[in-house]
Amino acid sequence: MQRRSSLAVALGLAAATALTLSACGSGFDDAGETGAAQDGSAGLTVLIGSSGDAETKAVTDAVAAWSEESGTEATLNTASDLNQQLSQGFASGKPADVFYVSTDALAGYAANGSLYPYGDQLSNKDDFYPTLVDSFTYDGQFYCAPKDFSTLALIINTDLWTAAGLTDADVPTTWDQLTAVAQKLTTPEHVGLAFSPEYARVGAFMAEAGGSLLNEDGTEATVNSPENVEALEYVKSLFSSGVAKYSSDLGAGWGGEAFGKGQAAMTIEGNWIAGGLQADYPDVKYTVASLPAGPGGEGTLQFSNCWGIAADSPNQEAALALVEKLTSTDQQLEFAKAFGVMPSVQSAAEQWKTENPDKAAFLDSADYAQGVPTLEGSADVIKDLNSQLESLSTGDPAAILETAQKNMEAIVQ
Amino acid sequence: MSASVTVPPTAAAPRSPKSAGRPSGRRAPKGIRKSEGIAGWLFTAPMLIILGLFLVVPVLMALWVSFSDWSGRGSPFASGVNFVGLDNYDELLAGGGLAERDFGVALRNNAWYVLLVVPIQTALSLFLAVLVNRQVLKGRGFFRTAFYFPSVTSSVAITVLWLFLFGASGAVNKVLSWFGVNGPNWFQDPSGVVHNLLATVGITQGPAWMTENTTLGVSWWDWWAGPSVAMSAFVLMAVFTTSGTFMLLFIAALQNLGGDVQEAAMIDGANGWQRFWRVTLPQLRPTLFTVLTLGLIGTWQVFDQIYTGTQGGPGKTTVTPAYLSYTSAFESQDWGRGAAIAFVLFVIIVVLTIIQRIVLRDRPVSKRRMRAYSIASSQTANKEGRP
Amino acid sequence: MSAATSTLSPATPTAAGGAPEQPRRRRSGRFIASTSLLYAILVVIAIIYIFPFLIDVATSFKSDAEAASDPLSLIPQTWTTAAYERLFLNSDFPTWFANSAVVTVFVTIGRVFLASLAGYALARLDFRGRNVIFAGLVAVMSVPLVVLLIPKFLVINQLGIYDSYAGMIIPLLVDAAGVFIMKNFFESIPASVEEQARIDGAGTFRIFWSVVLPMARPALITIVILSFQGSWNELSHFIVSTQSPELTTLTKGVASLASGQLSQGTQYPLKLAAAAIMTVPVAVMFFIFQRRIMNASEGAVKE
Repeated sequence: MQRRSSLAVALGLAAATALTLSACGSGFDDAGETGAAQDGSAGLTVLIGSSGDAETKAVTDAVAAWSEESGTEATLNTASDLNQQLSQGFASGKPADVFYVSTDALAGYAANGSLYPYGDQLSNKDDFYPTLVDSFTYDGQFYCAPKDFSTLALIINTDLWTAAGLTDADVPTTWDQLTAVAQKLTTPEHVGLAFSPEYARVGAFMAEAGGSLLNEDGTEATVNSPENVEALEYVKSLFSSGVAKYSSDLGAGWGGEAFGKGQAAMTIEGNWIAGGLQADYPDVKYTVASLPAGPGGEGTLQFSNCWGIAADSPNQEAALALVEKLTSTDQQLEFAKAFGVMPSVQSAAEQWKTENPDKAAFLDSADYAQGVPTLEGSADVIKDLNSQLESLSTGDPAAILETAQKNMEAIVQ
Repeated sequence: MSASVTVPPTAAAPRSPKSAGRPSGRRAPKGIRKSEGIAGWLFTAPMLIILGLFLVVPVLMALWVSFSDWSGRGSPFASGVNFVGLDNYDELLAGGGLAERDFGVALRNNAWYVLLVVPIQTALSLFLAVLVNRQVLKGRGFFRTAFYFPSVTSSVAITVLWLFLFGASGAVNKVLSWFGVNGPNWFQDPSGVVHNLLATVGITQGPAWMTENTTLGVSWWDWWAGPSVAMSAFVLMAVFTTSGTFMLLFIAALQNLGGDVQEAAMIDGANGWQRFWRVTLPQLRPTLFTVLTLGLIGTWQVFDQIYTGTQGGPGKTTVTPAYLSYTSAFESQDWGRGAAIAFVLFVIIVVLTIIQRIVLRDRPVSKRRMRAYSIASSQTANKEGRP
Repeated sequence: MSAATSTLSPATPTAAGGAPEQPRRRRSGRFIASTSLLYAILVVIAIIYIFPFLIDVATSFKSDAEAASDPLSLIPQTWTTAAYERLFLNSDFPTWFANSAVVTVFVTIGRVFLASLAGYALARLDFRGRNVIFAGLVAVMSVPLVVLLIPKFLVINQLGIYDSYAGMIIPLLVDAAGVFIMKNFFESIPASVEEQARIDGAGTFRIFWSVVLPMARPALITIVILSFQGSWNELSHFIVSTQSPELTTLTKGVASLASGQLSQGTQYPLKLAAAAIMTVPVAVMFFIFQRRIMNASEGAVKE
């Protein structure tokens, strides 16, 4: 009896409120209350997921400079959780106009039509590294301009290096040498090598072994290849001999933190580590070397974000102009100076190397760097792989890869 | 205000919700009735509109989304959104893919959490209540305050604190080291507690029938992994933050117990322990029921702690269905699946509550307990992840 | 009189006037031993419950390095207020605090008013559909709220109040439990009080507002406490109802601080300072109304 009447109430309420909803729903697109850009002339909002104060300031300045030049107002916001905020923005029909998009989020947003595919309209389109253009191409369309990029390299603590009696000639170029120096660098106080427990670091070993998660044109899953198994076996052997550890096992949030605190003599990180060390551990001296070659030759991973433009942006023309300005050679070199990234355009390469001789290794390895998979759903597959890699030291490499292979196959089709 | 207007609540308590509905002992003339009718609806209108708009409609809307292929752009009622039937549920419960396994893992994590938190918090809060309720005790107020204080603080603040206390070289491990225990790296340790215990007696691999059979994409052996070390830290946190609230419920119930039965038992020569088991506990049954129900509902909805603390890591061992529902929708753009997870969770909670109701069947919930229920439910809301 | 008032308070789950007196026992040696044991157990547990909060406050005054090296000590070797300076002078923390305060104030006022209005109608007014509304309320209370995470966003969005104070506040304005508490309270007030006012010719709202509501102070305080605590500590609703940094609340802000981005390091003093500050308002509230929250019948026993 009580149940029936509560159902009646629910239905009655639903009917009444559905009317209200449909009345309000029709106009929600322009009923914004935040004062964000609503019509074409009002200006642009830019949303970034910043790595820190340096990046925020540099991008803010660049956007402000453009705003003054072009006469179009533009405001910059930093997101604490970029993907979540973008999702809510797209669903609400009031997204930011210009924003960072990570490679793993691209497919999802492109597939549901949230992104404006403007890549081919860029005047400097041919200047971008082709592998980066590939990373931001979905379904044959070049969606968005890479904002910068980075590769992984071996970061070495110079003081601990010399203390262990090592010289420049000892910088490892093969896996065996890496094992050997890690051995020498391991003391009761610190381990030789530490990195984060994720594909984005461990994957570099797979690349060095000649493996990858997907074949060249992304049509086939190759996660359980013998090369990848060999790579994980090698990493596992580093762990079991005690010369390497995950940063999380050292209580650090990422490799850079373990490195900065002196818990590890070497780490595998991208060029963003420069900014991180500068800010938190300015006294640590370090050198950057290309990752050692594995059985498959030289290999590393590359990462990038692009400047997405919303399909719902009322002022795409201005947004495009802003993106062109932000990805111009000069501007990218500015950003490089401010927060240590590498320009995504080839025309800036020479000057960047001259200005950053100590970080040249990052750019040198761009020639053979591997991008991370960008298929729709691959972010979930990699997340799952990461969760298994966390227990690599006790797990079975082949079994881990077999599971990931199945997951990857399901999304490749 | 004069004392004459107050009624001893004991008089009000036995009234069942049904009889409570009638205004007591008053016959209003016809004219007033009519104006009361209008006033009644006017008075309740704001509540009805808000609850309708933000509770009933959302549920219906999410139900639609869970049957649709809406991908998170624009309105879910737009023309491009299609009805896909049970596809989202099917993928979740029998898809054989990552979605199913993720859901299985989330259910496993949360089930262990419930299995540990509910009994421990119930036992601990009852224990505290019994201790604090001693008449002879000096400083009762102080102890009650101390035990209750964690319950009023925000789950975000407590999680931040917990991350610090349970760090690799944090306070907890420091204390453990005094006893010669080498504490784990709590929030980074994905290994299951039960698996770890089995490993100490040399069992590191499950029997074939356990490793080869899977439910929801997770092998039976992995279902038995137990909560991960990281999840155990959350279990302790839940006990820490909710035992105070439930202690208050038990104290209230203890003070309502008739002293005569106790005395009779004492004359019969029963000792304290026997009195507690044979006399006190059976009388506490209704409160026990409330506490268990609230605990069960609350612990299945863990969200805040995960969002703030671990984001599901390490090794997905702290992913809960509530958190998985959120990330599926807001991060992976799988809104249909996210909504479907929420409804499956809803069903689980309802079914478990009904089962528990049958097992612990008792007389109907009295109004007094209803009142206690409302307070405790709002107080535990944030503690146990109920948004 | 105060005793009578407090026994009425719905804040106290108990309804009884007092606990039965335990028959006095002879003070034997065994009794003293068991009492000391009782105290020992209680003190140990109390320390476990209180110590984390002391660590929180102490660590917020430590340097990053000291927080990591000595997580247990309650007295920083070198006192520093760097964490607090950073929070208040060099971050969005003041905005978060202000937003939480605004939302909490509005939600508390709204809940008190709407809950007593609806509670009064359900308890006292005789109108068609009342039982249906009541049944609906019970049904609504049983919906696990986490199910609403996604749909609430959808509705807020559809109504055009996404990312605004309206979207943050309005959905929180009614809380079924509050209505319940008020309804129960009003039922315990004898009808004769209203009868008199009615004879004097007062309208329904007037009776509610000037006669009944002032008598409901204990219940209203309960609602204030619950609403304050509930909205101040709310997290998930703000996650799904806002995106702008200007609308970030304390819970959301501190959560993002905790899940820390790259290169922010662990920075525990900063995070713990934030956690400590966000605990202060509820703690103040708690200590002001402590007796009411804990057990008002205590007062009844003493008098």
